[in-house]
Order: sequence, then structure tokens, then C-alpha cells
Amino acid sequence: MKWEIVCTGIGGRGVLLASAVLIETATSAGYHAMASDELGMSQRGGSVVSMVKVGSFRSPFVGRENADVILSFEESEFYRNLTFLKAGGLAIVNSAGKEVPGPVRGLLADRRIACHLFDADAIANRNGSVQASNMAMLGFFSHFAVGPYTFGNILSAIGRKVAPKFFEMNRAVCEAGRIEAGGRLASEVRP
Amino acid sequence: MNGTEVMIGNQAIALGLVQAGLEVAAAYPGTPSSEILPAVIDFKRRLGKDIHIEWSVNERVAMEVAFGAAMAGKKAACMMKQVGLNVAFVPFIKGREVPIEGALVVISCDDPGPQSSQTEQDSRLIAALFSFPVFDVSSPEDARLLAAHALSYSSRIKRPVLLRSTHRVSHAREAVSLETPGQGGAIDEGLKLSNGRRLGIVSSGMGFNVVTDVLGELGLENAVSLYKAAQIFPCPPELLRFAGSMENLLVLEETDEVLEALVSGATRVFGRSTGHVPRQGELTYNVVRGIVQALAEATGLATRPFSPDAAIEEAVSSISFPPRPPKLCAGCPHRASFYAMKQAFPKAVFPGDIGCYTLGTSQGAVDTCVDMGGSIGLASGFFETFRQDGGPDVPILASIGDSTFFHAALPLLYDAAAKGKRYVAVIVDNGTTAMTGMQPTPQSGMRAEGASDYAIPIEEVVKGLGVEFVKTIDPYEIPVMIKALKEAKAHLTKEGKGPAVIVARHPCLLFAKAGKKMYSDDLDLAAGCNGCKHCVKLFDCPGLIFDEELGKVKRDEGICVNCGVCLFVCPQKKKRAHRPRGKAQPAPA
Repeated sequence: MKWEIVCTGIGGRGVLLASAVLIETATSAGYHAMASDELGMSQRGGSVVSMVKVGSFRSPFVGRENADVILSFEESEFYRNLTFLKAGGLAIVNSAGKEVPGPVRGLLADRRIACHLFDADAIANRNGSVQASNMAMLGFFSHFAVGPYTFGNILSAIGRKVAPKFFEMNRAVCEAGRIEAGGRLASEVRP
Repeated sequence: MNGTEVMIGNQAIALGLVQAGLEVAAAYPGTPSSEILPAVIDFKRRLGKDIHIEWSVNERVAMEVAFGAAMAGKKAACMMKQVGLNVAFVPFIKGREVPIEGALVVISCDDPGPQSSQTEQDSRLIAALFSFPVFDVSSPEDARLLAAHALSYSSRIKRPVLLRSTHRVSHAREAVSLETPGQGGAIDEGLKLSNGRRLGIVSSGMGFNVVTDVLGELGLENAVSLYKAAQIFPCPPELLRFAGSMENLLVLEETDEVLEALVSGATRVFGRSTGHVPRQGELTYNVVRGIVQALAEATGLATRPFSPDAAIEEAVSSISFPPRPPKLCAGCPHRASFYAMKQAFPKAVFPGDIGCYTLGTSQGAVDTCVDMGGSIGLASGFFETFRQDGGPDVPILASIGDSTFFHAALPLLYDAAAKGKRYVAVIVDNGTTAMTGMQPTPQSGMRAEGASDYAIPIEEVVKGLGVEFVKTIDPYEIPVMIKALKEAKAHLTKEGKGPAVIVARHPCLLFAKAGKKMYSDDLDLAAGCNGCKHCVKLFDCPGLIFDEELGKVKRDEGICVNCGVCLFVCPQKKKRAHRPRGKAQPAPA
């Protein structure tokens, strides 16, 4: 089995930590995994793309329309990087909005893409710190249990990646993300 | 150590070198090479080795320190980005004929694209052109093994060798083995797929891994033959035999024609020289997929072709989202410096330099970006041009960072002072080598491993070089900086000795507080705002948002650091009354 995941967002918001957790999770579960980051020139506030490939791949590059999953930590970066996502893929987008604009909604339906907008910032804020919205994203993603990415596996990788004094807050936010996905998707028909 | 650990390619290079017995390491930081030296420090500690490690003031110094140690019998390495190899070229080229007692690995990290360099260059080409042994790494684990191999190979042949990485390998992450590689073990190169003579592919570096994945996607893994090259020069005879045996041969390499030139004449070759591979830019997955698909079709091989869905662009083009060009961080002192320079002399010529502050282009205060130290050298040329033509008195305001100043500007400034060239040079001194990850400068008084060192203040160096007018200010105090710039220009106009130097000193915020909020009180930018957008247009800070509904500017709460410097920029007098929160920085003792 193999999976290609693209994490997109803006600098300083934990995209690279999330990507580090994804590669750590896969490696611990016994998969070969590689990641490649694109940071642009700015250290804060610029576009960030991190590509993660899990399974029998040799390069960390994700080609156009090849990503199984796109985790977008900021809404406009989702649109900017939509060409990565394959038909039938999964998109999780951090957004305070309720739905994507009309033309994109039509496109996602035509391409059978399951797109979930959810307010990871608000969930992170309620559970400790807005800076932990990346953990809410990972928790939401764990609901789908894609490959090695179960809640338990992701949580132990987080435990190895964040300082012990921040673990409890990160765990709480990650769990809140998972509960949000579970609660919402139980009553929702998947496209 | 045993087991594996997830790390980036640059850490893996460091691990390989330390495992192979490295004794001396010297580097000047530059993307994408900067993480190698800190990783040498890390593995030195973890493996309990005795290694001399230093950040040198530039790449030539790094190479000479390593070269000298290698001549005297040590196993040495120096690290730099591809443009840094140009700086170190003088000792490097002599390395062809000077025997060494120990070993010397020159590590040059290339920047295909380029993504964060002024030029795209292929270090393999320089090595092969001058008969230097050169190895090309393709993944972090491969980089570890090749780095160890290169050090023992150099020790064996008693000549320097070059190890080439690219940003895509240097910054890729994967699980890397912690086991010590076997002595003089085989390197991973040679025939990888053997599927007849119709179409063969030779590739090295990350391109090899990309094309392997692409062949899988296009269903060609049982249709083409594939050869992975690791030692680029001297070119192994097996590679030439493989190339000569193919009816059609595609060469995929970054970024120039090295393997392509070495195998040319052997067979029907497709590559850059035939227009099948783009002349410039990275061999991304999409680029390689396009090349292989076109060539497979042209040579009559059946593929599972990829065709892009144009509906994606169509849908996305109908919505608007903000462009995100690279910008100086919110609260960056350089932004204040550039604003002051542009306000003081709107019609000046602004020679710029290499660092975070190259981004001053967006404020109209950086006109050129040629090379490290180039701002000072070009300013001299501009000054002589205006003088020779007897044209109007156009102010010349050069800008250069503190690390770049020490790296390259000393002879240029000394020469300008000796000849009395009348321009203003602003040294934007944020106390660190910010763009590449906060490495110390000679002014920091700190060594690579944290020990204290002699701090050499910039002002003393500048005075020692013969500059008469030197003034240090804090750019957060924009009116003070504007006044200082005008004083400097007045000094030159009154036939005072040039050049005049302003040291604009305020620490990099990321360095000072590791990105934390520095100033506690939230500013209310909307109060008194009349919506003129002057700050948004001319200050270009990512922390400023213009609220179209309110018709007022406001803070981006996730980005703004409340430095308050933008209040100086506001034409409304009411807001100007605020003081910025940053404390003025005294000159170093």
C-alpha cells in the first residue's frame, strides 16, 4: 500500500511539525516514508508546502493530481494547491467558513473529492492555544484512519515530536479534532 | 549507534562524515547547505568524537582551513552552497595538483530552480570540467553512504573530492540508518532496470528517484532500462557501456549537461542539448513525467498516460485569493531601514546585496542583487559613472547585512575609502546570519559550538578601513535614521571623505525571541485611520491587513508583533505621536 499526502499552509503555523508527525507515524508503523518541504523565502507568513509519500516510493515529490490527501492549514492555500489532489481524494481544510465557493464546489463534486472544512483554529483556541491548530487537523484526519494514520499512532508520534510539557495540550487539541470529525461525519452522507 | 532515525539529507551527510572519521569541518552558511555543520556538531557529541568545527567568515576561508588541515594529514571537509563554491574557487582549483596527506571532501549544495540563490549552477560541471572526482547524492540515506565513501576515497587517492547535493536531497526527510558504514563499501550505482535496448535512461541525484516513481505511474517499469549514476567523474566504464548499448538514451540530471556530455557520441541521446529536457529549472515530478511520457510515445512504448484535468485551473481561476510573495517578517528591522532610506532619498540609486534584506525590492529600496558584497562594489561603479558623465548629483544608498559585510565587503569598502568614493553604505546589522538560520558573525563573539570568542564590532572595522563618517542608529526610530542618512549625504556634499557608513542596528526578532511576541500591548491601528493605505503600500508588512468593509487598516493578529514601527509611517499626526515599543540598541562595548 502507498499514500501521497500534501500539507499546505502558511509559515509559522505548524505545517512542518504536522508533516514531521506524519512521517514519524509512518516510519514507526514500519513503512518507508519520505518528505520534502517547500518554504519559499520567508520564514513567517509565506506559503509552505510539505509533501509526504508513504510506501514503496523513491522520491518525496508529489505529482499533479496524485495526492490521496491534502491537509490545508489555511483556506487559500487549499485552492492554490488543488492541482495536487487526485480525483476521489480527501481534503481537510482549516477554515471558519461553511462551504467552498460555488465553482470549486462543482469541481470537487465532479472529481468525487470529499472536502471537509472545519475550524481548527477555533478548536485549538478552545483547548489551549491557536498555535496548536495543526494538532486539531491531525486529529480530524485520524478519523479516516488512512493507512498507518490511526488516532493512536498519530498521538504516539506527537508524543515523540513535541516537548513533554506541551504534550497534554497538544493531545487535548488533537482529540478535540478527532471528536469533531466523528460527531460531524456520523450524521453526514459522504459524497 | 544502531537503528534508524528520521533526518534531513544534510544531517545524513554530517552523519556519514562523522562515521567515516572526520577530524576538521569548516563552513559558511548558505541555503541549501546550512544544516550540515550544526549536524556535525550534534553527531560529534553523540558519537564522542574529537572534531574541530567552525563557521568560517566565508567559503574561501572554510575551504582553506579544511585544505590546510588535509595537507597536514587530517580528514577534513568544508560545506557551502553552489554560489559559495565560486567564492572558494581559487584554492579549489589548485586542489587538482597539490597532494594532501589526509582527506578533503568539498560539499557543494546546488539550488535547482533556483529557489534561494541568484544563479542556478551545477557544481558537478565545475568538478568534471577540471577533472575533480565528484559524487552526486540522491536521497538522505544515499547521502550518508556517499559522504562516508567520499572521505575514504579522498584519503585513498590523496586528492580533494567534491560531493554534490541539491536542495531536494539536502532538505528531504527519511529514516536513515545509524549503523557505521563498512570501510570502502560499494556505493549504490549501476543498472536498476534491465528491459532491452529500445529506451534507456541514465540519471543521477534526486532525478533518479523521481524517474523511478514516474516509470511506476506510467506503467513503464518493464519497458525501459534504467541506470543510476553516483560517481559522475571519473565516469565509470559500466555507465559508458550501458549508454552505448541503447538505441535511444534519455539523460535526466540537474542542472547542466554533465552525464549528457560524457555519454554523447555513444548513442542517440535525448537531453538538454536536444531540447527534450528544459534548459533551466528543477526536474520536478511533473517535468519528469512529461519528458518520459513524450519520449515513450515517440519511441513506440505503451504507457498509462497522464492527462491533466484543466477544469481545476478553470474553477480555481474564478475565485480570488491573496498572492503570497516572500516578505520580510512582521517587525523586521530591515523594513524600517528601507522605509527610512526611501523616504530620505526617494530618487536615489539603491545597490542591494544578498540576504533577507534583498526583499527590500518591494519597498523600492533595493535595485541590484548580484553577489555577496556586490552592493559596495557596484556603488563604486555607479559613483564613477555619475562623476565621469558629470550628471546630476544622484544619491547612492547601498545596503548590506552584517554577515555579508564580514563575508565579502572589507576589501571593497577599503578600496572605496582609499579612493574617496562618495556614497552612503547602510550596514543593516541584525546581529546574526538570519536568512540561513542564525549562525554567528564575527561581531557575535560566539563560536559554532557556543564557546565565547573575540567580538569584533562593525564600527571599529569600518573606521579601520579608513571611513571617516560612521554613525550607528536604531532603525526602529525611523525619524532618527532619516536624519542620519541626511547627515551622511551632507557630509559627502560638503566634499567630506566618502563613503559614509550608517550602521542600522536592531536585532532580528526571530533571533532575539525565537519568534515569540516581543511587545505585549496590542496596537489599535484602526484608531485615527483614514484609510489612505500609505502604510499598506509603502511599508509592506505582512502584519497589516486592510479591512475593505471598515475602510481602515488593522493588525493580522497571528502575524503582527506589535513593534509599532508602522505608526511612524502613518501620515496622520495623531498616530505618529505613538512611540515604537522597541528599545534603541546601544553600540557594542
